[in-house]
Amino acid sequence: MIVRALGLIAGAALVLLPLAGVPYTTTLLLPAFGYAVALLGLNLLFGSTGLLSFGHALFIALGGYTAAALTGRFGVRSLELVLLAAALVAALVAVPIGLLCVRYVKIYFGMLTLAFGMLFYSFLYKFYALTGGDEGMRVLRPMLLGRPLEHLDTVAYLTGPFYYYALGVLVVAALVMRRLVGSPFGLSLRSIRENAAKAESLGIGVRRCRLAAFVVAAVFGAIGGVLLVVPTGLADPLLAYWTHSGNLVFMLLLGGFDHFLGPVLGALVFILLQDSVMSLTSYWRFVFGAILAVIVIFFPRGLMGLLDARRAAAS
Amino acid sequence: MSAVRWALALGWPTPLFLPVLLAAGLALAAVGPVIERLLRPIYDRDESFQLLLTFALVLMFEDVIRFVWGTAPHQLGNVYLAYGQVRVGALTVPTYNLIVIACSAGIAAGMGWFLARTRFGRIVRATAENREMAAAMGVDMTRVYARVFTLGVALGTVGGALVIPATAAVNEMGIELIVEAFAVVVIGGLGSMRGAFAGALVVGVVKAVAIATWPEVEMLAIYVIVIAVLVLRPAGLFARATA
Amino acid sequence: MRLTRRRFLKLTGVGAVAAALPLDVVPVLAQSGPVRLGILAARAGVLAPVGESGLRGVQFATDRINAAGGILGRRLELIVEEESSPKDTVERFRKLALSDKVDAVSGAISTGVGLALGPAAEEMKTIWLAWDATTQKGVEESMPKPKYSFRSTDNECEAVMASILTARHWKGKFKTVAGINPDYSYGRDNWAAFLAIMKKYGIEAQVVSELWPKLGATDFTSHVATLIQAKPDLIFSCFWAGDTPIFMKQAHAAGLTKSTKVVLTTGGGVHESLKKDFTPEGAILGYNCFYFENPKASALAKEFTRWHAEKFKEWPNYESDHGYFTVVAFKAAIERAAKAAGGKWPTQDAIIQALEGVEAESLSGPRRYREDHIMEAAFFQGVTTHRNRHDFVTIDPVESMSTKQIQKPSGVGLYDWINGWKV
Repeated sequence: MIVRALGLIAGAALVLLPLAGVPYTTTLLLPAFGYAVALLGLNLLFGSTGLLSFGHALFIALGGYTAAALTGRFGVRSLELVLLAAALVAALVAVPIGLLCVRYVKIYFGMLTLAFGMLFYSFLYKFYALTGGDEGMRVLRPMLLGRPLEHLDTVAYLTGPFYYYALGVLVVAALVMRRLVGSPFGLSLRSIRENAAKAESLGIGVRRCRLAAFVVAAVFGAIGGVLLVVPTGLADPLLAYWTHSGNLVFMLLLGGFDHFLGPVLGALVFILLQDSVMSLTSYWRFVFGAILAVIVIFFPRGLMGLLDARRAAAS
Repeated sequence: MSAVRWALALGWPTPLFLPVLLAAGLALAAVGPVIERLLRPIYDRDESFQLLLTFALVLMFEDVIRFVWGTAPHQLGNVYLAYGQVRVGALTVPTYNLIVIACSAGIAAGMGWFLARTRFGRIVRATAENREMAAAMGVDMTRVYARVFTLGVALGTVGGALVIPATAAVNEMGIELIVEAFAVVVIGGLGSMRGAFAGALVVGVVKAVAIATWPEVEMLAIYVIVIAVLVLRPAGLFARATA
Repeated sequence: MRLTRRRFLKLTGVGAVAAALPLDVVPVLAQSGPVRLGILAARAGVLAPVGESGLRGVQFATDRINAAGGILGRRLELIVEEESSPKDTVERFRKLALSDKVDAVSGAISTGVGLALGPAAEEMKTIWLAWDATTQKGVEESMPKPKYSFRSTDNECEAVMASILTARHWKGKFKTVAGINPDYSYGRDNWAAFLAIMKKYGIEAQVVSELWPKLGATDFTSHVATLIQAKPDLIFSCFWAGDTPIFMKQAHAAGLTKSTKVVLTTGGGVHESLKKDFTPEGAILGYNCFYFENPKASALAKEFTRWHAEKFKEWPNYESDHGYFTVVAFKAAIERAAKAAGGKWPTQDAIIQALEGVEAESLSGPRRYREDHIMEAAFFQGVTTHRNRHDFVTIDPVESMSTKQIQKPSGVGLYDWINGWKV
C-alpha cells in the first residue's frame, strides 16, 4: 500500500516536473529514463532469470551508435524509426552472443558478457574510420512523432517534448515488462532461476528461455541507449566500457532487483545522488564505492527491499 | 583480482631498493585480514556479488589514491636502471626485467610447493574442492579464508611492487589492469595456479605479437581469446579434466 | 486511451515550457553579485594531472583578479565541476548553464568531450572557453561557425613546430622514421601532420613502424621490442601524459634511444618526470605554450612559477597557461564590451563580440582569440640538455614560434595549408 502510494506520488511528480521551472533537474532525469528502460531489461536477466550480466553496456552503446549512424550519417531523423532500428540491431547482435552466453550461469555468464562488452569497446575505440574512435559519432536531434520541432531550442526540446517522449517510452517499456514477467514465459524464467534442473524436467526449454530473456534485455538496453545519447548529442566508446556496465548493475542493486519497479527507482536515485554528491565533493567515486559496498554486503535487496521490510514491520 | 588492485594502490610510494620494495609489499598484506572480514558476509552468495564488490573497491581506491598521492604519475627513482643491462648478441635486456622474471618464477615455484606439499596447502585445496566436506572434516573455514585472502593480497602487493619500477604508478592503473588481470585468470582457468601462469604468458605473447604485426587488434585479440576459452574450455586452457 | 492521455500531457507540457521560455532561455546576465565562471576540470584517470594543472592556472588568475577588485567591481566566483566521459561532462555543463546559471564555462581537455561540448554550448547558449581539445574534426566538421564556443590552439601546432625543427636540425641525417603515438584523434592528427611536413621539406623518410598504444598505457615492452626490430633513425611521439616517461624509461633500458633521434612534441607537459637517467640529451622536446624556465619569461610568468613551485612543490606546465588565459581573456572582453557600452555591464552578445579578437597577457606573453574563436599563442620547444640544476631534462636553447606560423589560418584545410608552404 505504502509502496503503491509512494509510486503514485512519484509518478505524478515526474509528470509535473517540467512545469516546475527547474530546467536543469528536468534534463537531469532524461538519462535516468534511459537507464531505467535498460535496467528493466537487465533485471529480466538478473531478477527473474538469475543471470547477472557485466557487459550490458554493450547494448546501450549499440543503441547509441545506431542512433548516431541513422541520424548523423543516413539522415533518418524519426525517433520512432531509430528506436525500432536500435531494437532490431540489438536483437540481431544479441542472438549469437546470447547463444554463447546462456550456456553458462553465475560468474561464467558474468565474465563472458564482460568480455563481449570489452570486445565491442575495443572495436569502437580502435576502428577509427568506421566508428570515429575516441571522439565517437554525433547524434543529431531526432524528430518526435514525425514533428521536427525546429522552432524549439534544445533546452525547450529536451525539457518539453523529449522529456514526455522519454517518459512515455519508459511507461510503455515498464508495461511491456510487467506483462512479460507475469506471463507464462516470466514464470518459466523464475522457475529456471530457482532450479534449472527441475524446470528442465518440467519440460521448460531452459536455454531457449534464457536466450529469449537475453535478447529482450538487449532490446531494452538498446532502446535505453537511444534515449541516453539524444540529450548528449554524441555516442562515444566509453558507453561500452566495463565501468559503465558496472554502474548499471550498481543502479539495479540500489533500486532492488526483486521488485518490479526496483530498476526504475535505482536509475532515478542513482542519477540524483550522483548529481548532488558530485557537486559536494570531487571524491564522489569514493562515496559511491562505499555506498555500493554497503548495499552489496548489508542490503542486497536495495531500496525496494528496505521499503518492503518497513511495510512488513508495519503490518 | 582485488588483490591486484591492492598491489597497485599500496605498492607505490615505497622506497628505493628491490628488497625494501618487496618487504613493503609484504607488509601491506596486513590489510588483508581487515578486508577479508568485510567480505565475509557475501561468501555464501552468488559470485556475481563478489565481482560487484570488486567494482566498489575499484571506485573507492581510485579516490583514495588521488587523495593520498595526488594525480601525477609516480616514479620510483632509478631502481629500474640501477641494475644495468645484459647484452645477448644484438639484444639489450634490462637486468631488472630478468630479476622480475626470476622472482615470479621463484614465487610460482614456492606457491606450487606450498599447495602441494604443506599441510595448510592440502587444506586449501580440499576447501576449494568441496567446502562443506572440508568443514565437516573439522577445518576451520574462517581461518582458512582469512589466511588465503591475506596470501592473495600479499602476492598482489608484491606483484605490484615488482612492476612499478619498470613503469610508473598512475591513477587509472587499477581500472585498466583489472580487466587484463581478469583476462589472465579466465584464460588460465579460475582456481588454477598453473593456469594463471600460462594465462599471463598467453596475454603477454598475444599482445606482443599483435603490436608487432597488426596493432589494431591488440585489445580485440585478447578478448577474442577470453571468449573462445570461456566458450570452448570454460574451466580454463590448462585445467585438469578431473574437476 | 493511454495514448491520448499521454499526448494530452505532452501537449500541456510543451505549452507550459513555451510559456516559461523567456525565463529559461534568453540569457540574462545578472547585473550584481559575483560573476560566475563554471570550470570543467578532469579529476580522475589519465587526464587528471592536466585537469589539475589547468585548474591551478584558473585559480591563480581568479585570485589576482579578485585581489585587484574583480571584474568591473564584481567578484569572480568559480564553480568547479568534473570533466569525465563526454556524456557525463555534457550533463555537468548543463548543470553549470541551467542550474548554476554561470556567465561562462572554462575548461575541458579531452577531444571526445570537446566534440560533445561544442554543440552543447551552442544549444545552451553559454560561452565556453576550452583549455584544449581542438581537433581537426572538432574545428572543421561539427562546429564550422560556432557562436558560443571559443577553442584553444589547434592540436597539431606542436607537431607542426616539432616537424619544422626536425627538418631544420636533422634534414639529411635520417632515412627511416617510426611513430609511437596515443591511439586517438590527437595522436593520429599529429602523426599525419608530421609526415606531411617531412614530405613538404623534401625529406623522403621511410616509415618503418607505426604504433598506437592506448592513451595512458603503462607497459611498452612490446612496443619497444617492435621498434628495436624496425631500427628507425628517428622516433616521433606526441605522448603528453604519464605514458611519456614510462616509454622513455623502457626504451632507454632496452638501448633504443642510444643511437636513435627522438622527437617528443608534447612531453614537456610532464617535464618533471623526464629524468636525466633515461631521457637523452639532443632530443627535440616540446612544452606546448609554456616553458617554466624560459629565460625571457615575463614578471607575471616568474611570479606564477614561483607561486606554483611553492604551493605545489612542482614546476608548472602549459595547461595552467591555457586555463589562465581563458579567465583573463573573459575579463578583458567584459571590460572591452563595457567600454563600448559606455560603462554599463554588457550583454552576453556584446561579450562574445568582444571576445573575438580580444588580447590579454597570458603567462607566456600576449595572446589573443582570433575572429574565428581559435586561440593564438606562442609555443616553446628545443633540444634537451642535462646541464641544469634539476634531475630532469630541460631545453637549451629555447626556441619559440607563434601560432601565426604554426597554426593553420581560418578557413583552410590543414593539409592544403601545409602543401601551400614555401620552404
